Amino acid sequence: MTEKEQQHIFETWLGQYKALIFKIVRAYAYTSMDQDDLFQEIIIQVWHSIPAFRKESSVITWLYRVSLNTAIKWTRKERKHYQDETLDNVQHILQESKSIDERLTWLYEEIYKLDEIDRSITLLLLDGFSYKEMSAILGITESNVGVKINRVKKLLITKSKKYDYHGI
Amino acid sequence: MEFEELQQIWDSQNNRPLYAINEEALHKRIESKKNQVRHITNISELLLIIVNIGSGSLILGMNFSGQIFMYLLAAWMFVTALYVLISRIKRIKGNNRFDRSMRGDLTQAISVATYQVRLSQLMRWNIIPIGTLILLGVWDGGKSVWVAVGLVVFFAIAYLAGGWEHSIYKSKKRELEILQDKLEKEN
Repeated sequence: MTEKEQQHIFETWLGQYKALIFKIVRAYAYTSMDQDDLFQEIIIQVWHSIPAFRKESSVITWLYRVSLNTAIKWTRKERKHYQDETLDNVQHILQESKSIDERLTWLYEEIYKLDEIDRSITLLLLDGFSYKEMSAILGITESNVGVKINRVKKLLITKSKKYDYHGI
Repeated sequence: MEFEELQQIWDSQNNRPLYAINEEALHKRIESKKNQVRHITNISELLLIIVNIGSGSLILGMNFSGQIFMYLLAAWMFVTALYVLISRIKRIKGNNRFDRSMRGDLTQAISVATYQVRLSQLMRWNIIPIGTLILLGVWDGGKSVWVAVGLVVFFAIAYLAGGWEHSIYKSKKRELEILQDKLEKEN
């Protein structure tokens, strides 16, 4: 693959599937500084992954696999910026849209509280992936995926009831 | 809420993007990357000039009378220092051709990174003539074979370390190019 072809694929993917990367960034990085860092890390890994893409899966599945693996590794390795307050003067590359439904913000906060694998499962579940696809992306068995999905669904439904109860 | 409702909330983001790219912040990030690359390049150039002139002068000062290879080595080091100095002057003069826009800054950062990659590759290759001249000097001076073996090991390590350094610069350049691709796609 020539560099020009790689660049063309990268631009197409970034144009069409930017929203997918945003979802993963939002679910794995809490502060704005971390979101910037993780976004850059994911797009760099996506670039490097292009020559290895063999069209055996769809582009979305491939991007999810690369982005989730990057996010999971990043969560384990990187030093996080826990407080944005100390970084008041820093402007962030990614600016969260103001018109986002507050229930969606709540949902992301709940996803962020899950462990790394459950976060991935939840994102894939909400984006309509099958057990088989999730199993292939995350490298865990389908039955394990099923167990985790049941647990995550129950947890989110319970938490959403508390959320409703508080009348927000 | 039932899971179907959570699904509906989730799907709502498909119609409006979660984030927007802040151009000003991106420009600042690029500027900082550019300054970082320029700083590393400046230090590398100055070190190469000082080390080559210093080593060349030291060899000349040690008075290796009749050992032609040592004089050739000193001359080679002066030529290397001169080459780096001329490249540096050309690079600094070339900075004026970039405008102060975000794209201009990014293009400049990539240009400096490309220069740094080329320089590190040349300096890695430069270990071969320098090592050869030193070994010839050792042979000419009738030193022990173990001194020559030790030097060969030293130069092999230096060559490998040079390769590692070169790959770091290449990866930094690659990151800047990815940023440029992203920027082109955004606009």
